[in-house]
Order: sequence, then C-alpha cells, then structure tokens
Amino acid sequence: MPNGADTHCPYCALQCAMTLTPAASAAGAAPATSSDAAPASPATPALPGEGAVPLEVSGRDFPTNRGGLCRKGWTSASLLRHNGRVTEPMLKGSDGVHQPISWDQALMLVTAAVKDTQKQFGNDAVGVFGGGGLTNEKAYMLGKFARLALRTSRIDYNGRFCMSSAAAAGNRAFGVDRGLPFPVTDLDSASVILMLGSNVAETMPPFVQHLQGARDAGGLIVVDPRRSATAAFTDDGGGIHLQPTPGTDLALLLGISHVVVHEGLADTSYIEANTKGYAAVVRSLNAFWPERVQSITGVPATLIRETARRLAQGARNGGSYILSGRGVEQHVDGTDTATAAINLSLLLGLPGSARSGYGTLTGQGNGQGGREHGQKADQLPGYRKITDPAARAHIAKVWGVDESLIPGAGLPAVELLKSLGKPDGVRCLFVHGANVVVSAPDTNAVTQGLRSLDFLVVCDFFMSETAVEADLVLPVTQWAEEEGTLTNFEGRVIRRRKALTPPPGVRTELWLMARLAEMLEAPSMFSDDPETVFEELRLASAGGLADYSGIDYAMLDRGEAAYWPYPVGSQGTPRLFADGFAHADGRAVMVPVTPSKRAVRSFADDSLALATGRLLEHYQSGAQTRRVSELLGSQPQAKLLIHPGTAAARGIADGDYATVTNQRGEVLCRAELSNSVRPDTVFLPFHFPGQENANRLTEAVTDPISGMPEFKTSRVWVRRAASTTVSAAPAAVSAGSGLPLHAKEAS
Amino acid sequence: MSERIVVVGFGPVAARLVDELLPAVRTGLVQLLVVGQEAEAAYNRVMVAELGVGRTAPEALAMADAAELEADGVDVRLGVKVKRIDRARQHVVLSDGTNEHYDRLVFATGSRPVIPNLTGLNPDPASPVLPAGVTALRDLRDAAVLREAVAGGKRVVVLGGGVLGLETALAAAEEGAQATVVHNGPFPLGRSIDRGSGSVLTSSLRAGGVRMAGNARSTGVETAGPGGSFSALLLEDGSAIDGDLLVLSCGVRPRIELAEGCGLPVGSGILVDHHLRTYHEPHMFAIGDCAEVRCPDVSCLDCRTATGPSGLVGPGWRQAEWLAEYLVVLAQDGQEAADALEALPTEKPGVVVLKARGINLALAGDNQADPWDEELLEAGAASGRARRQISQWADPEHGRYVKMTTRGGVLEGLVAVGMPRTAAELVVLFERSSELPADRSLLLRLDGPDQLDSGATSNDPQRTVCRCAGVSAASIEDSVLEGCSTVGEVSKATRAGTGCGGCHEDIKGLIEKHFQATAA
Repeated sequence: MPNGADTHCPYCALQCAMTLTPAASAAGAAPATSSDAAPASPATPALPGEGAVPLEVSGRDFPTNRGGLCRKGWTSASLLRHNGRVTEPMLKGSDGVHQPISWDQALMLVTAAVKDTQKQFGNDAVGVFGGGGLTNEKAYMLGKFARLALRTSRIDYNGRFCMSSAAAAGNRAFGVDRGLPFPVTDLDSASVILMLGSNVAETMPPFVQHLQGARDAGGLIVVDPRRSATAAFTDDGGGIHLQPTPGTDLALLLGISHVVVHEGLADTSYIEANTKGYAAVVRSLNAFWPERVQSITGVPATLIRETARRLAQGARNGGSYILSGRGVEQHVDGTDTATAAINLSLLLGLPGSARSGYGTLTGQGNGQGGREHGQKADQLPGYRKITDPAARAHIAKVWGVDESLIPGAGLPAVELLKSLGKPDGVRCLFVHGANVVVSAPDTNAVTQGLRSLDFLVVCDFFMSETAVEADLVLPVTQWAEEEGTLTNFEGRVIRRRKALTPPPGVRTELWLMARLAEMLEAPSMFSDDPETVFEELRLASAGGLADYSGIDYAMLDRGEAAYWPYPVGSQGTPRLFADGFAHADGRAVMVPVTPSKRAVRSFADDSLALATGRLLEHYQSGAQTRRVSELLGSQPQAKLLIHPGTAAARGIADGDYATVTNQRGEVLCRAELSNSVRPDTVFLPFHFPGQENANRLTEAVTDPISGMPEFKTSRVWVRRAASTTVSAAPAAVSAGSGLPLHAKEAS
Repeated sequence: MSERIVVVGFGPVAARLVDELLPAVRTGLVQLLVVGQEAEAAYNRVMVAELGVGRTAPEALAMADAAELEADGVDVRLGVKVKRIDRARQHVVLSDGTNEHYDRLVFATGSRPVIPNLTGLNPDPASPVLPAGVTALRDLRDAAVLREAVAGGKRVVVLGGGVLGLETALAAAEEGAQATVVHNGPFPLGRSIDRGSGSVLTSSLRAGGVRMAGNARSTGVETAGPGGSFSALLLEDGSAIDGDLLVLSCGVRPRIELAEGCGLPVGSGILVDHHLRTYHEPHMFAIGDCAEVRCPDVSCLDCRTATGPSGLVGPGWRQAEWLAEYLVVLAQDGQEAADALEALPTEKPGVVVLKARGINLALAGDNQADPWDEELLEAGAASGRARRQISQWADPEHGRYVKMTTRGGVLEGLVAVGMPRTAAELVVLFERSSELPADRSLLLRLDGPDQLDSGATSNDPQRTVCRCAGVSAASIEDSVLEGCSTVGEVSKATRAGTGCGGCHEDIKGLIEKHFQATAA
C-alpha cells in the first residue's frame, strides 16, 4: 500500500488540497483519532456501512483552500472501504437482481452488446454519457474511446447541466472559456465582488476566505432569490443582497448596466481599446432603466443604482470582480444572462485588468478540464471544435488515424438523453461518473429512457440510482486509489495521487477503455497508464485554446503552478486576458441580449417558482455524500424551503410533509419554513433520490445556444400532504448493505 | 416580391418594431421603410428629463442607429414627415416630395405634449410656438434647454403635478436648480393616488427641496425676461410664481391627425382591434402612444372597460413585439396563419414607479377606496365576486405610506411611498396577479430592520458555529472544558474553523466566555 499522498479533495472544483495518510488503526472499526501533527478527522462514530476508514484526511496549505476543508472533504475517506461499495462487475439477472460476474465475462458482454447494437442500428446507436468529475486523462480517453473504439458521435456529459451556458458566453465574448481567467487569490484584494447566483458558503466553503477583503470593505454584493448563507455574508455592513424574483437575473443585469452607461460610469477608453459591439449594447440597454427593472425583478431601483456605483468605484479603487454561478446560468436564457454579466464587466473595464475581472465558478471537481478534452458532443481535445477541419486533421494525426474515422458532432446531453431507446436514438449507453436518474432534468422521463435501452453499462463505485437501472455495473477506482490530473476552477492543472490500493475487483476506467478498445479492434493506442495518457493529451491539446503541451507530471509533482494555455516553452498563463482576448483581433465582443418572452411569465394562479440547488453537506446527486453517516445524519432528507406566509396560505406548518407537483411529476418531502426565500419561490436541494428527487419537476427545455436545461424556475404547486402516506423518519442504515433505505440504489 | 412595410414614426416603440423585424429584412422576407420626423433615429424619450438635469448623455439615449439599419437593408428617412396617406393607391406622401408604396402600414406616431390654454402661449395645439424659456420637455432640444437652466442653478417652474413633472422638478432640485411644482388639487398625481399617500408624497418632495404650489390654477405666462423670455407663471388668484424656465408637464395626447386625415376611425387614439389592426383596414396597424385598443365587438368585456392609450412605453413595446411576429408570419405563411396567432393579451392598468433618487414611490391601479368606504368596497362585488379589501400603513412622520387594495387577495391597486422594498415586492405581485400573504404586514416588514432571519445569535448551545464543518456551540464548549484554550486547539479537536475560517471570532468568544466564567 502506498504510504499516503498529497492530493486534492474528490468533490468540487475548488479542489482543496489535502494530505492522506494511513489511518492509525485502519483494521479496526473505530475511525482514526486526531493526532497532534495536524487537524485530522476527529472521531465520529461510523455507521456499520462505512466500514473501517483506511486513511486520515488533513487539510494542506494551497492557495485555493489555505489548509481549510469542509465537512465533505473531512469525511471523504469514509467511502473508501464502505460496505456498499461495488467491488466486482455486477450483471442484472432476469429477476432484476444484480449478481457478480468476472471481468472477462463483463468485457465480453459489453463488446457483444456494442457489436450487436451497431450491426442492427448503426454506430450512433451506441452512446456515452460522461462526467465533470472524471480526471483529464479519463475525460480525454472517453472522447477518444467513443470516436475511435465505439465509432459513435453520441457522446456528451453532465457538464452540459453545469458549465455549458457560462462556457458558451465566454467563448462568444472572449473567444475562450476558462472559469476564472485569473488565480483565485487575486480576489483577496478586491474591494467589490458581485456574486451572481452562487452560494459558495455551502458549495465550496473554503473559498469564502477569498471574499473576506470585499466583506471588510462592505463590497460583497450577492444576487440570489434566496437569502442563502452567502447572501447572509452581506449583513452587518458586508455589502448588499439583491433578491430578484426567479428567472429575472438577466433584466437585473441589464438594469445595472443601464446605470453604468447613463451615469457615465463606463470605462470608455477601455471599451474603445479592447471591445467591439459597444454601441449596439448601449442601445439595447436603454429600455432597462432601474425603475422598470424594479417592476420586473422586485429589486428596488435604489439598490440597482447603488450596485452599479459600487462596482464602478471598486474598478477605480481596489478592484471589482463579477463572478457568475449556476443560479443565473441554469436557465433557458442562461447563455444570454452570462453574456449580460460579461457585458457589464466589459463596460466597467474589468476583464484583463490588473486588479479586476470577470469569472464563472466551475462546479464539479474537474468541471474545467472535463469540458476541454473531447467528451462534449461538439468538441475535440484542446477545446477544439469537432467541425473545424484543421482541428480534425490535427487530432487525426495525433491519434494516427485517417480523419474520416472521426465522427462529426453529436447531440448535447438533454437531446442525447431524450433519444434513449427511440427509433434512430441511442440503444446502448455507457455512463461514466454521472447519476442521471437524479441529476438530469425531468428525471421520470430519463428513467423511462434508460429502461427502454437494449443495454446500459454504468461505471461507478456504488450502486447509484443510475447503476440500479444498469444491465451491467462495472466497479471503478475512487479518487484516493488513482493517479491523474484535474484542472481546477482557475484553469490550474493539479495532480491527483494514489494513497491506497483499490479493492481487488476494482479497475480504473483507463484500464477498462484500453481492454474494450482492444476487443473492439479500435485503431490508435489506448493506454491504461495515466501519465502516458497525459503525454498523449499534451500532444492532442497542442495549439488548441486549452493547450497543455508544456505541462508534465514531473513539473506538477514539483508543485509548479501550471495554468493553461501552457504551450511548450512558455511559463503558462495565470492571467488569461492580460494581453488581450482570444478573438483574432484581440478584442472582446459585446453582444446585445434581452430577456426572452418566456422569461417573463405570469403566475396568476397559486403556482410557485421552484429553484433547485445544493446543501453544504451533499455533493451533486448525493450518491457519495448520502453514504457518509456524518453528512447524512446532518441532512438526511430533502426539505422544501418555503416562506412562512406562503406556507400559512396552504396550511403547512414547519416540519409538515408537503407535495410539490407539476405536469412532470411529484415530490414528497418535509417543509421547512423560512423567510430566507421569497414568498413566490420555493427551494429544493437536488441531492436526493426517489420521491424527494427535485429533478422530477424540472423541465428538459434548453438554452438554444448552450443546451443548458432550465433548472431554476420550474413552475410548481405546493400542498400539504397527509403525513400518513409517507414513511416516517429518514431511514436508518441497514447493517448489511450499508445503504440508507430511502437511497437504496444510485451514483 | 416581398411585402413592403412602412412605419410612420421613429420613436422607442417603432425602434422595437424595427429591431424585431430586422431578421426578416435581412432575409428579404419583408422590405421596411421607416419615416421619422426628428433628425435623430429613435432615442429613449423616457430619459429626456434625466438628460435635462445632466444625469445622462445624449449618446447614451440612442435606441437605433440609422446607418446600421441602412446597412441591414432598412430604408430610413429622418427629418421627414408623412404629409398624408393615400389609402386607395396604398402610398404615403412624404415631405421630401416622394411617394412611397406600402403593403402594410404601421402608425407609430406617438403623442405630443398638451399645451395648456394660457395667455401668452400660442393656443394652436398642432404646432405650438412657445416663447423662449418655456418648454414641454419632449425631445433632445428641450432637454438641452433644461440642462442650461439646471446647470446655472436657475429657477425652474414645473406646471403639472403628473409623474413626469414631479420627476423633473425633483431631479432639477437635486442637481442644483430651484424647482417649483404648480398643480391643481390638494396633492399631486391627482386621482392615481389617495389623500394619505398624496400628503406623504408632498412632504417628501418638500424635504427633497421642491417648492410645492398646490390648489393653484394658472392663467397665463409673463414674458418679461431677457429677450421676451418667460419670467413668471400667473395664477388665478392674482399671484405669480417667478422663474427662469417654465416646464409644461400637462400630459400628452395621441398624434392621430394622419390617421384621421385618411378616414380611419379614431377615439382618443387610433382605434385598433386585438390584432392592432385599424377598423375596416386590416393592412394598417397602430402601436404605442397613438393606438387605442378597443375592438369593434360591443360584447367584448375587455374593451368595455378599456381606458385608451396609457402613455407608458411598456405596453407599446409589447405591442411592437407582438406585431412584428404577426407581420412576419403574415409575410411568410399568409393571412390564415397570422390570424391563428394568439391575440395580444389585454394590458393591465399601468404601474408607475417614480424615477427619482431621493423619493421612492410606486403606484398602480385604483387607490381611491378607504378601509371603511362601503360604497367603493362593494363596487363590482356582484355575483360571487369578492368585495374589495384595503390594508393600509401610514407613518407620515417618517415619510412612509402604503395602501394595498385587493380583491380575493389579489392587488387591484397599490401605492407605496418611502418603502422601496415593499414597493418593489408589491409591484411584482401586482404585475403577476399573485395572491398576497394573508398577513399583509409581512410585506411591510421588508423595509424593517427585522426582516432578516435573526439566526441563532443567542446563547442557544445547539446553534451551529462552524457551518463548514457543522460544529455546534456545545461541541466547542465541550472541547474548551476538556482543555482547549486557543482557536487552533479547538479546530484540532472539533474541526470547527477549518473550512472558511469565518467563525474564528465566534470560537474565540466562546473560549473567552468560558475563562471569564471560571475566573468569576
């Protein structure tokens, strides 16, 4: 067993640095106790399902987290030897129960399923659904595997539900998309930070350290319909909380921009020198004076003006940053909303300036790297377009294949999932690092789609809700059991290192793809060694927007800070726009945007707007965190956050069960009364399965540019439920399976 | 041959229509001719007063760019009037001497300011010639006149207590002019608001530096200033209000002469049906300030209660968007497809939010009824329809006043002064016809200091001190009891403070509290 390792947290894009060391008493059921050396995981009574915790986690000093970790990071090692872990390939029998089979049998089955399906229905009848948590090596290889081994165009990933709108807007405006185009520590000195729909206090708590300077200056401005934990930081002189009614973020941004233009706060010399499209944007902003925007958003005109002035003041003194998150991006007009945020930042002269900037906060662990190297339907490694002949020729050369072997663009995630089991759709699907049964919009329809497949293969380490649907579940390594790289939310490439030998039946996905490629007689090379794959990724990315060619493992292992683009011979690019933007003329493009008619919706009946989001204790679909006793114990079930006035009108008291319904489905869960939500809005976390699955209610309509679904403004009806119809308390963990009863499957 | 659409007028509403039609122009589906009387392409008239007090620049007001439109294939004629319309030949006669054919014609002629009947002003409403020092504040030139007066700290007299008059006076006062509002009745804004809000508003305006002259009837202007310019507004009671600039803010009237001149039916505006088509002439349309949506169907309930053009730009923009879609479908798929489109929804009564820095005022709908006013409350409450209900909050000392008029819990009227968050929320509720919380005081509290979750800042031992690691005060106190005496030690023992570090002060406080208690 390796003797511990310096690595990073398995969860979000902040990628907190941590050190893993073998636990003092790994053999016993009792978890490690704290030592004097470092703040280590203190004793938490483990539930029987967690088994022994083989590693101790301690925070490691790094610019992003400065030694801090949140509860998810502290408890991450408790899943490594969890009794519910899948450690052998599991085949679903005719009785619907999964039984272990050998790897040889599993590989034969997969190969046969692919060949049969493609023979009958064509190459595109096989599809791949990837994830933003996969390492760069896996994400790269998955794209190559789909195109060369499976010969299909049908590959996309769950990042479509995450970063696609911000990415599309960034590419349109700047010619390139890197979450933060500057090191996160640049935020420390800012006097004003505008956070758009991002609840970092829960989603990436150690990040909050970088907001302290702005809070001290009274300049933290948070836009969120909910008084989130992050919004609460604006209390006591920390700044301003703007609470627009859901779906009106775009109008709010136009209102702030209107004030910037009309009060002469725009940085005209910057605009002149660095942008184009200004005049058209000014014209489009005219219709959004603050009082009109107040009528649309519910945000007082005075606060709209104050926000504009603070941002402008900050840009001149200390620095102003605008950061966008999923709250404003996960909409049918998400790309335009992100564009409005970018336009505002360009009006103020922020991007590329020394002490100001614009960025978007990537969510998933490798949400950045995962969107650069080819697991997107329209993309090839290095952030290249699959439709670009030069890009295709370059990649074909690196792969040593004829260009004609690389398929064209496929379908974005929502369309891909809609096509499952349909004529001309996907009939055999591979899922890697995703739990679509919980995380995709309109999940009832998605589940039906999965059930209509001829063959579903899911790679996971737990029986996630999606794995339960699979014909074949293939057990793969967890983060502490593998080597690789990730690209954090700053565009900095970091190393994941192995600290523990995986259980005997578990394989890496690289190994799996290499074997399958061989059996499918794929051209080119499929290595199962991460460093070898990375060396190939370097060549493939060379000359692309996300150029990694100058980065290698040795450099990363020396602790060098490597920000892409990092062409061979360069020093990398900590600050992406220091020398202009990535369009041919070096200018940023301002695109006029206006709210779509759909965005202005009337709620004349007693329906409410449903927003979905995250809790501190859980990550994404909860497939991992719901298996950590400490986290589950703290947040065991979904709770509907509802305003006391709204609840009173429906006869709902705190703790009552409530149904949340619309034409797509129904959620049943407890209500939590709080005036942190607007009276016209309810909030559900999206980490829970089954009857608590918020995505039963979300609609699979998408942004026309990015393919992002509408996650934040579903229209729902809320009623008090008869409590007798529900199982009482949250299910306890059964000793045998180690799984909470209400989460009996899942990823 | 593609259809030719002629748009008469080039204000903000016409600009929106042109914008929406642009894609069809680019593909050649339609041809577009826009005729604008002013020398400039459309600009944001709503902001003219702001421009007049120096709070924005002329270039920021542009809503269209003639050169760019021309490049896209739009025929733009600026500084040109449509002299008349020949319906029989389907062409317009322009002041530049040309005749232009149309397949469809859209009136977007807007409105003109009402010039009151005062001695000393030219009474011809169609082409008023105002003396120097008198302006109706309608276009960029008027704004420049006001700008000069404000910059010079001059005396500005605003005649008319409407929204625009109040906005102009307050902004002028805030920017250094001496401003006076002269209006009829005991308080400004007439019947849009009630006495309570009127009184609070008047006080607030005075506090904002505006002289308020109520119950004043003006009879004429004195032009004894330099070069025969304005010097005083004369009142019925024989008194005079001296000033350097008179701003006429007495409302607007739709420009309908052109439509009337070619025989189209008009009311207060050009009469159109729910598809914005003029009566009897379905290929002519009207949008914006000049249009009066009142269909010929006598049984149409919406139209029986319609009140004519609102004078607000929002409804005009919605009409422009709707009409653009209609015209495109018409050109592409024919009449039947166009008629199958959903008709334009009836506008709700307009919401007014005072564009002002120092004063917050929002109002909408009918605000006349008082809580005990049986007659008004019962009005309209027949055949199962609920009666009106009033909730009210008055705090004149602090300049605050709110009245909510509801029916079945849904707002029919609202007025809020001095309570920005409450006002913003009420307007959204009004726009969406959403039901108010039964406890109306919830809405009032939005502007109170207690609106936030108090959180558990108390001594509750179960409160979470460290959110990142989920550690309660009790756990931290236990660790202190067990010997931890620094934040670092507490962090090691409990993980509290190991995430964002935001609770370090709080942990320190708990440690100090323990030692203080021990010392005592």
